[in-house]
Amino acid sequence: MTAFLQATTYGLLQGGLLALVAVGFSLVWGVMNVVNLANGAFVILGAYIGWGMHQTFGLDPFLGMFVAAAVLFVIGYVMQRFLINLVVNGPIFITLLLTFGLDLLIVQGMNIAFSADYRGIKTSYASESLAIGSVRVPVGRLLAFALAIAITLILVAVVNRTRTGMSILATGMDRGAARLMGIRARHVYALTFGIAAALAGMAGVMIGTVGTFNPSAAAAFTLMSFVVAVLGGLGNMYGALVGGLVIGLVQAWGGQYLPGTWVNALAFLVLIVVLIARPTGLVGRAFYAARLEV
Amino acid sequence: MVAGCGSKAETNNGGAASSGPLAIGASVSLTGKLAREGQLTKEGYQLCQDKVNAQGGVDVGGTKVKLAIQYQDDTSKPDVAAQLVDQFNDKGVKLILSSYGSANTEAQAAVIERNNQVMVDSAGADNKIFSKGYKRTFAVLSPATEYAAAIVKAIAELATPKPKSVVFLSADDGFSKSVTEGGMASAKSLGFTVLDPQYFTNGTSDVSSALTKVKGQHPDVIIGSVHLVEGVAIIKQSKELGVTPVGFGETVAPPTPDFAKTLGTQAENVLGSTQWTDATKGKDKYFGTAKNYSKDIQANFGHLPDYHNAEATAACLALVLATEKAASTQPDKVRNALSGLDTESFFGKIKFDPTGQNIYKPMSVIQVQNGKALTVWPKESAEAKMIWPGTR
Amino acid sequence: MSPSTRVPEQGVTSTVPLQDVSSTVRRDQARRLLPWVLGLVTVLAALALQSQLYSGQERTVATIFMFVALAEAWNLIGGFAGYASFGQVVFFGVGGYFTAVAISHWHFSFWVSLLLSGVVAALFATLIGIPLLRLKGHYFAVATLGVAEGMREIVTNLPDLTGGGAGITVPTVGNNATTAYLGNDGFYLLFLALAALSVLVAGLVARNKFGYALRAINQDEDAAAAMGINTTRAKVLAFALSGFITGLVGASYAFQQVTIFPERLFDVDITVLMIIMVVIGGSGTVLGPLLGAVALQFLSEFLRQNFTDLHTFILGGIIVVAVILLPQGLVNYVHEARRTKEYSLLANVRRYRL
Repeated sequence: MTAFLQATTYGLLQGGLLALVAVGFSLVWGVMNVVNLANGAFVILGAYIGWGMHQTFGLDPFLGMFVAAAVLFVIGYVMQRFLINLVVNGPIFITLLLTFGLDLLIVQGMNIAFSADYRGIKTSYASESLAIGSVRVPVGRLLAFALAIAITLILVAVVNRTRTGMSILATGMDRGAARLMGIRARHVYALTFGIAAALAGMAGVMIGTVGTFNPSAAAAFTLMSFVVAVLGGLGNMYGALVGGLVIGLVQAWGGQYLPGTWVNALAFLVLIVVLIARPTGLVGRAFYAARLEV
Repeated sequence: MVAGCGSKAETNNGGAASSGPLAIGASVSLTGKLAREGQLTKEGYQLCQDKVNAQGGVDVGGTKVKLAIQYQDDTSKPDVAAQLVDQFNDKGVKLILSSYGSANTEAQAAVIERNNQVMVDSAGADNKIFSKGYKRTFAVLSPATEYAAAIVKAIAELATPKPKSVVFLSADDGFSKSVTEGGMASAKSLGFTVLDPQYFTNGTSDVSSALTKVKGQHPDVIIGSVHLVEGVAIIKQSKELGVTPVGFGETVAPPTPDFAKTLGTQAENVLGSTQWTDATKGKDKYFGTAKNYSKDIQANFGHLPDYHNAEATAACLALVLATEKAASTQPDKVRNALSGLDTESFFGKIKFDPTGQNIYKPMSVIQVQNGKALTVWPKESAEAKMIWPGTR
Repeated sequence: MSPSTRVPEQGVTSTVPLQDVSSTVRRDQARRLLPWVLGLVTVLAALALQSQLYSGQERTVATIFMFVALAEAWNLIGGFAGYASFGQVVFFGVGGYFTAVAISHWHFSFWVSLLLSGVVAALFATLIGIPLLRLKGHYFAVATLGVAEGMREIVTNLPDLTGGGAGITVPTVGNNATTAYLGNDGFYLLFLALAALSVLVAGLVARNKFGYALRAINQDEDAAAAMGINTTRAKVLAFALSGFITGLVGASYAFQQVTIFPERLFDVDITVLMIIMVVIGGSGTVLGPLLGAVALQFLSEFLRQNFTDLHTFILGGIIVVAVILLPQGLVNYVHEARRTKEYSLLANVRRYRL
């Protein structure tokens, strides 16, 4: 029983972090139909910023993540406004190609700037764990989980209640109509991408705190973003959260009751089964699946 | 590349010794998953070239010829590494230094054999590479089966009280599996109780399932057949999950500076096996002792040497010594000289068995003490006493 | 007085003298034969090129042919039908591993394994196509990605059959070798044949009813169904055909590499490269994927050889610039530019930006 509870706890904590990695990716894909292959690169870039803040200023990573968020917001905004906006009307998946090129640039840039050395952000408390009954709950991961949930909820609130947020949703639903209503689509797109990059950056700092990273780790996060975002479903702000928690749990339970190397196979199997049963993901909205590009 | 052909009849240098430099081909992983280790390998090759050329070059039958290593990036992919060996062959470069890692080296070895080139392997330790009857690839590093076995032997010899049970946590790539097999065999023969090994995906940063599974069995020693990422994860997550064996041992990760830097105090007293430390016994005319080598790496690259640097330099050294011994740069003569090589060096003994592996050099076991990796085994090279138990 | 005939030419009726009609028909025939002639000439040129290349260069060019074959095959399902398969590499891997296992464990000859690999890949495509092709757009893409990643994990976890993470070696020397190793010369010809086959299939599909059905599905699937096209059958057929060719390529690759690993045979990078080549060249055309594959692979090799330290960085930069200037792909750009007489690249950018 303990093993099951331990696995469940670990799975949920990991799942929350995965959700934060994927929520920006899901937002950008659902609203703007942009497939951001550079999402993993944003995560790792955030990790480096958090690491740098910790090295140079001794800034605790859970504060440093706001710095990472700010820097990545600017990077994301500029990238969307002056690069990705140029091809948004192009054939489907052209944005994939563009972000692939950008991903190469960013990852290689980090390789050159920071070298491929593995790094981690050391804190005195992250590996301590609380004991709840016979289950150990690591402090670092718990904080990361709590923050991931909080940030997702804040994002949902911002998108649903503020004018800016609603302009994002509106532009996502019908760009033409939104523009007719006076919404500056170019700016809104850039804003959305900026927010997505900032979220990825924050997730990166947390990942840097609970594990190690180097530039080549970016690809795995991009892949995870795909799986989590689509499993949860696009078009719904909670999609990434649901997807992340499900994947986290599936992997933790799988690791516990199957030989350890089947963990990833199980995750992908779950993805495929869910998509066959519910073609728009667990909580996705059907509208976003059959988008016509206008 | 495709252009610039049409001159197939043209002969290229790299075969007969003439006034030009001796061209050696090295495909290293400058980008991709193995970029970190690839960079260390390149540094090792570069230092070798610098030191040899500082003494005038390689002595080929009385004439000194400068070394000129040509580098290409295989992006950490085995098929590209193999392709690059073919491309070197086109240019007449027959003497090759390997890429990093068993997968890349295995792919390269097959091409070397077909093209009648010669390769010295710096970082591909998997015994499987040498079970195929290849005659033209020689590995200076100790084979994979020794990695964990060395740790087991060190514990058996030096740990008091002697622990009873050991469990292996292993990545699922070919190299790590060979390591685990060798380690388990050694442990059984030394009287340890060997629990069932747990495997996880190569490169994962989450080994919590494996740890949760072994927690209930209370192993005395946990040995990880891993690389850096999984190695760090084992230590970190053991603490998180409350898994407390008497001691940890891991392959590949603990001797690297990144390990202690990333883990801080958690890295203390972790054992690790390594191909080389700066306490390794032996010297040669180009690099002196291990301590000299360590100073050179620090002077040239600004960091403490990693054993990946040393094994790369040793591979290059073996090629240089064989060329000198053969008094020729012809691949067949160099190949024969390599197979009969038997020499001491800063890296330890360099000698090859009939399959091409260096079974004559033992691995060393280090322990992280106060953030530094100190040699604790074998006794001749020991710089410090092994601290046991490791986790109190 | 010359007899006049009504010739419906591009929807405009006009009276045209009889001699001009037959010359128009001859011009049409010539135009239709031209691609086949050009294709034949290209293949002959490639054969002639072989004698001029060093052995290692042959290997590099063979890789170019391999990507041409892969890109054209992807184009069948992703370009014509508009169902972007992000997991295309699964057919590559299935074909490759089938051949490796067949030669090592069951002692088939390579040529038999090659054909069977294609068939097995096609069957696999049909198997997963039937449930997955009901998904649309993004979900189809990620579901196929999931299949590819999942297959990689499954292959890694069956070490007795596939060697698992340690890889599997196709016996090429000694008693266990069932077929002599082809060598760089042989593989050059094999991959050239596969590339030619792939382009041929794409060309045939583009010009017959099946291709039109796929294009109709791409533009408006419901309308296509309303017109009486059996969309499920068409999609699955395209997927299976694309899988067949990709499986053949994978099998050849496995034999060429001798030792294969799941990480490489199911590498998502290969799919991404395929997609990029098709999109940069011009998705939905026959010439596009070919040009895209040649250009990208050539560029990538050239950069790697000459800019050892920065080649990936430079490649990323070039891709970004190319995508911004030609979002619709090269071939489509040329078509549109010829039609509108608007050749400026900046005007092209304005056409597609927000």
